[in-house]
Amino acid sequence: MDLLDAYLPHVIGGVTYGLLLFTVASGLTLAFGVADVLNLAHGTVFMVGGYAAYLVTDGSWWGLVLAALAGTAAGAVFGGALSGAIMPLAGRGHMMQALLTFGVSMVVGNLLVQVFGSAELRPDLPDVLEQPVVFLGHNYPAYHLLFIGAAGLLAAAGWLVVTRSRVGALVRAMVDDQDMVAALGVNPKLVLAGVLAVAGALAGLAGALGAPILGPSLHAANTVLLQSLVIVVVGGLGSIGGAFVAALLVGQVHTLGVALAPEWSPYLLFAAMAVALLVRRPPQLLVGGRTT
Amino acid sequence: MTRLLLDTRVWTALAVAALAALPFAVDAYTLSSLSGIISLGLLAVSVAVLTGTAGLPSLGQVAPYAFGMYTTVVLIRAGVTEAPVLLLASGAAAAVFCAVIGPAVVRTRGVVFLMLTLAVGELTAQAAQQWKAVSGGTDGSGRLDPTVPFWGLEPLVDEPAVYWYCLAVAVVVTALAGWAARSTPGSLVRGVRDNEARMRADGHRVGAYLLGVFVFAGMIAGIGGSLLVTSQRMVFPSDVSFSISALVLMAVVIGGAASLGGALVGAGAVILLRDWTAAYLPGQGPLVLGALFIAAVYLMPGGLAGVLERIGLRRRKEAT
Amino acid sequence: MKHRLPRRALLLGTAAGLVLTGCTADDGASADTVKIGLIVPQTGVYEEVGNDMRAGFELYLETHNNELGGRKVELLVGDEGDGPATSYDVASRFVQQDEVVALTGIASGASYAEISVFAQEQGVPLIGSGGRPTLDPDQLEGLWHTSWISEENGTAIAPYMAENLDGPVYAIGPDYQGGHDQLRGFTENFLEAGGTLANPTGETTWTKFPDTDNFLPYFTEIAQTDAAAIYTFYAGAAAVNFVQQWAQSDAKDIPLYGAFLTEGSALTAQGDAAEGVYTVMNYSADLDNAANREFVSEWTAAGLTGQPSLYAMCSWDAASVLDQAIASIPAGEEVTSEAINAAVAELGEIDSPRGPWRFSDTHAPVQRWYLRQVQLDGQQLSNVVIQELATLGD
Repeated sequence: MDLLDAYLPHVIGGVTYGLLLFTVASGLTLAFGVADVLNLAHGTVFMVGGYAAYLVTDGSWWGLVLAALAGTAAGAVFGGALSGAIMPLAGRGHMMQALLTFGVSMVVGNLLVQVFGSAELRPDLPDVLEQPVVFLGHNYPAYHLLFIGAAGLLAAAGWLVVTRSRVGALVRAMVDDQDMVAALGVNPKLVLAGVLAVAGALAGLAGALGAPILGPSLHAANTVLLQSLVIVVVGGLGSIGGAFVAALLVGQVHTLGVALAPEWSPYLLFAAMAVALLVRRPPQLLVGGRTT
Repeated sequence: MTRLLLDTRVWTALAVAALAALPFAVDAYTLSSLSGIISLGLLAVSVAVLTGTAGLPSLGQVAPYAFGMYTTVVLIRAGVTEAPVLLLASGAAAAVFCAVIGPAVVRTRGVVFLMLTLAVGELTAQAAQQWKAVSGGTDGSGRLDPTVPFWGLEPLVDEPAVYWYCLAVAVVVTALAGWAARSTPGSLVRGVRDNEARMRADGHRVGAYLLGVFVFAGMIAGIGGSLLVTSQRMVFPSDVSFSISALVLMAVVIGGAASLGGALVGAGAVILLRDWTAAYLPGQGPLVLGALFIAAVYLMPGGLAGVLERIGLRRRKEAT
Repeated sequence: MKHRLPRRALLLGTAAGLVLTGCTADDGASADTVKIGLIVPQTGVYEEVGNDMRAGFELYLETHNNELGGRKVELLVGDEGDGPATSYDVASRFVQQDEVVALTGIASGASYAEISVFAQEQGVPLIGSGGRPTLDPDQLEGLWHTSWISEENGTAIAPYMAENLDGPVYAIGPDYQGGHDQLRGFTENFLEAGGTLANPTGETTWTKFPDTDNFLPYFTEIAQTDAAAIYTFYAGAAAVNFVQQWAQSDAKDIPLYGAFLTEGSALTAQGDAAEGVYTVMNYSADLDNAANREFVSEWTAAGLTGQPSLYAMCSWDAASVLDQAIASIPAGEEVTSEAINAAVAELGEIDSPRGPWRFSDTHAPVQRWYLRQVQLDGQQLSNVVIQELATLGD
């Protein structure tokens, strides 16, 4: 019991971080599963959300709500713009998409740093949230607990949309068989724009709500992108449920792993990915025939 | 006369001669950066072999590059500084690594392949960063002893000597890669790239061919990694970071995916641009490079060669 | 086999041409102009530190007619990045291509360790104004320093903490050369002065650098020990995270001591969380002496934000050292690297915003150290000197 108590803060920290990553990774896995796009600017969308939150928060609760809205909107706009940039590359392969989005992430990321400066920026939260809160015998930043609640609700809502709604059914169908888009007569450009806007909105929201935990910076953008990629691979490409489990796992590696096995924690991600690849042979991994 | 002008062997010989004469024309700093560029040029050749021959654009060739690099570091620390040993061991270590991860990687295609190689490359870089005994972490390996080109010869200390060594190795390895691409196995792999289904139907062991290219490309990258140690005599985990992978893939795109010489030139152009922006627009490097990525993707669909083609500098090549 | 040969030929030719044209030497500076290479972080974790260092050096030039020792200055600024991976290349470019007569700046000890060897090989003096690792005392030719030696912060405060704290201290720091030097300076002297460490392992806890942004698990662990205080070293973005998370963690009631933690723009970002944090430094903007009053007022007059940090001050002093050294070279003579080096060795006391100091036998300042605490000074939080500590460097 003492042992459990000792590691509880790590576990809670890991859940917070894992939910943050899930919000980002779910967007990435959607873009990937539905539109077959590897979006290397996804971490930069997270950054945009963070800066949006920094701009609109003013220490009030309304400011916080506004931050979530602003982050979502900024992310959706950025995502939509990305889809516009990708469209002319149709038929030129995934590599070009990846290089383009990487170029965009470098340009936008560095411009943002020039505009906002390199100093650490944190959104202005309501005073109550700046105080530590005692939970099960330990101090936690109040905001972290609020974030767990909000992100948990978001995940539940997302789950309902994907499993119960008509749009969700369409999305699941498209992940399973991308040619279906054409068969249904849905405009593929519209699908690309829609999916990247939704993915962007998720990353922007994560950036806004996550800003007090992981402030906007180039470093944060890179970290979030890489860890989301690992989550998408481990969780199964295009699978939201898989991403959820994988995100919580990566969150624990990030905190509990560092505490229990600091030397080994960087390799744990590697190992998780290797195991996922070797044990499972999901059909998505064998997208045969198509070359870039 | 026109014949002679179009003969590549003449041009290649002239270009190599011009490059070999550079130490008489430029300062020591430029020479040592060029040695580093040659090392990355081999990495680009390795990517070009994968992308051009097999149609597998990798975002993670820094992984075998890192294996070659750190194999050389470990050997030099152990007192083994003779070039033949360093090159062979580094190439072999990288090839073994690729043979281990290859089976899982080469069965994927398209965006999944990009993603997997990216993850492998990035996690290798992280592992390098963490394994301090070998890499020294962020602080780097520290100064290493110079490479000895052959038993009984003087160590490579001066910038021109290092440069000539790197150039010689790169020319030999690139020629070898070009020869391999023209060989029978090379044409089989191109067959897979162009029509995988038909090759399978014809009973070819597609997976084995691709694994073979993957290992061969890894070996080239490993040798490139060894050259970096010889040229810089100090290496860092950031030498194998994701941005290097992306930069090199970009170089290959600019050079025209299937051309090995183009890959070398593309690498030279991209890295020189990076260094120049670092010199004249300090802190703005990433911004300029990012803009280059965007511009190249839109404006140079066929790489540098495509641009030359469009402005009429050379005749169109036959349809691909 | 497709016929790709002509393309390859053209490309190779282009490359050779590109290389040749790119490498022609640019401007030759006129005889009276002195070329100085300033290497500071312009990207990465220490970008803000680098901005301060650059501002300090440039402010000195601006307020001194863009001259050092009566000669016009051409200042080259290069990016140090996160360490030698970026900075070493810049140093070799400055020396081998641009042919600067002296190098200055350099925030991190790791960069310094590599560049100093190179500078000595090339015979170019290096006036460091940031972190410095311990160097071989017999290998100091051409290496000078206006800031601090990484171990000195810890050395200065260790006896104070051993004497005034009622219990062991938890030591934690970033896992790189500069962090190791900083923390070793503290732990060695602290143990010698009779203190004990609260770390369960008996040794300093290291955090991965620059990747650690969540310090909460460490604070939980610290709170489970019997630590009476925490001693640490972080700067820049890492310092912001560390202090903010400390203030909301299980360890919030354990006093936080450190080097650099609240210096420069870090304090602004930390906000109220930093109140009460102790730091040990060789400067504070509130020091009362004529040189500091001038420095602070020039800083404000130039429209630079906030109060000057010690990074800016040390860089200002590097310019000041070069100014005095070059001034002592007779007017007709060429300002060479050897001449500057010889002149710096002859310098006596340097009048500085931190108070007068001189170079010691280790080519670093003999200077006083201060214990400071973040307090509300009027409207804003600032680092207020609460006690003078030892004079170190001799």
